[in-house]
Amino acid sequence: MNTSQKEPWIERAVTLLDKSTESLDAATLSRLNRARQAALAQRHVAWRGWVIGSGFAGAALALLIALGIGHRVAPQHMLNPAAVEQGADADALATDDNLDLYENLDFYVWLDAEQPNGND
Amino acid sequence: MLADSCSMSSPERMSAAIATSSDSTHAIERFLREVERRALRMAEFATANRDEALDLVQDAMFGFVRHYGARTPGEWSPLFWRVLDSRINDWHRRRNVRGRWLGWFERGDSADDEDPIAAVADPGEPGPLARLADGEATAALDVALRALPLRQRQAFLLRMWEGLDVAATAAAMRCSEGSVKTHLSRALTNLRSHLEAHR
Repeated sequence: MNTSQKEPWIERAVTLLDKSTESLDAATLSRLNRARQAALAQRHVAWRGWVIGSGFAGAALALLIALGIGHRVAPQHMLNPAAVEQGADADALATDDNLDLYENLDFYVWLDAEQPNGND
Repeated sequence: MLADSCSMSSPERMSAAIATSSDSTHAIERFLREVERRALRMAEFATANRDEALDLVQDAMFGFVRHYGARTPGEWSPLFWRVLDSRINDWHRRRNVRGRWLGWFERGDSADDEDPIAAVADPGEPGPLARLADGEATAALDVALRALPLRQRQAFLLRMWEGLDVAATAAAMRCSEGSVKTHLSRALTNLRSHLEAHR
């Protein structure tokens, strides 16, 4: 029911109720004001606690993430000399020429032994 | 690097949160300032005692800010009246329990409070509140509203005075929309008959 549909006596009743709120004494208004401020102060305390708590939680989370990432990422970027040498050996072994040499090592030893006779 | 960026933005986030909090706190204060007088009158109709009404309004403000302060301002009105309605209902329950224990000792006193002549209607007058001066009309309205059952009074005040629609009133009173319509219809009938008695 909107205002235009209200019966006249209801309109008068609403007007009287509105007027009754305007004639509250100073002591009552003061107490209402204190009640409002106290309720809002509770909100300030809750907000401050929430902000400080979330700030600490965020900083702690960031620190944990940073430590975790550092722990995982650092070994991949560090140059380990042993690993480099192992890589060089692997490169050497992967070459076809060297593989042939190692597979036919006996042949090359014999050939080396026979070469002086061949020269003769 | 990540830790640095987080620690750098943290104060900004904090100040933004505090600024948001400050804005919303001002908005809540404006809202409470706007409704507190009507809330007091509503509680006063229920308790017939200003100090107890002030206590109820203060409790309602605390409960509203604690539980619903983070809601959007558009939701505040029915939620505030819901909290106050809940406090008023609790007050009535406590009073009823106390009344059961003390009723035996106080029996017979209540009959003196009612004026049987005031309840007699005068059929020659045009309508309720029509010929009463403001002071008399306000007093008659106070008596009529206090005589209403709690749910009927809340339905009338929330719908007619506070201007909530049926759905918001139902949310504030924690009942169905059909119940709101029933309570309001009975409230209007009872109020009219009470006020016609004061013409």
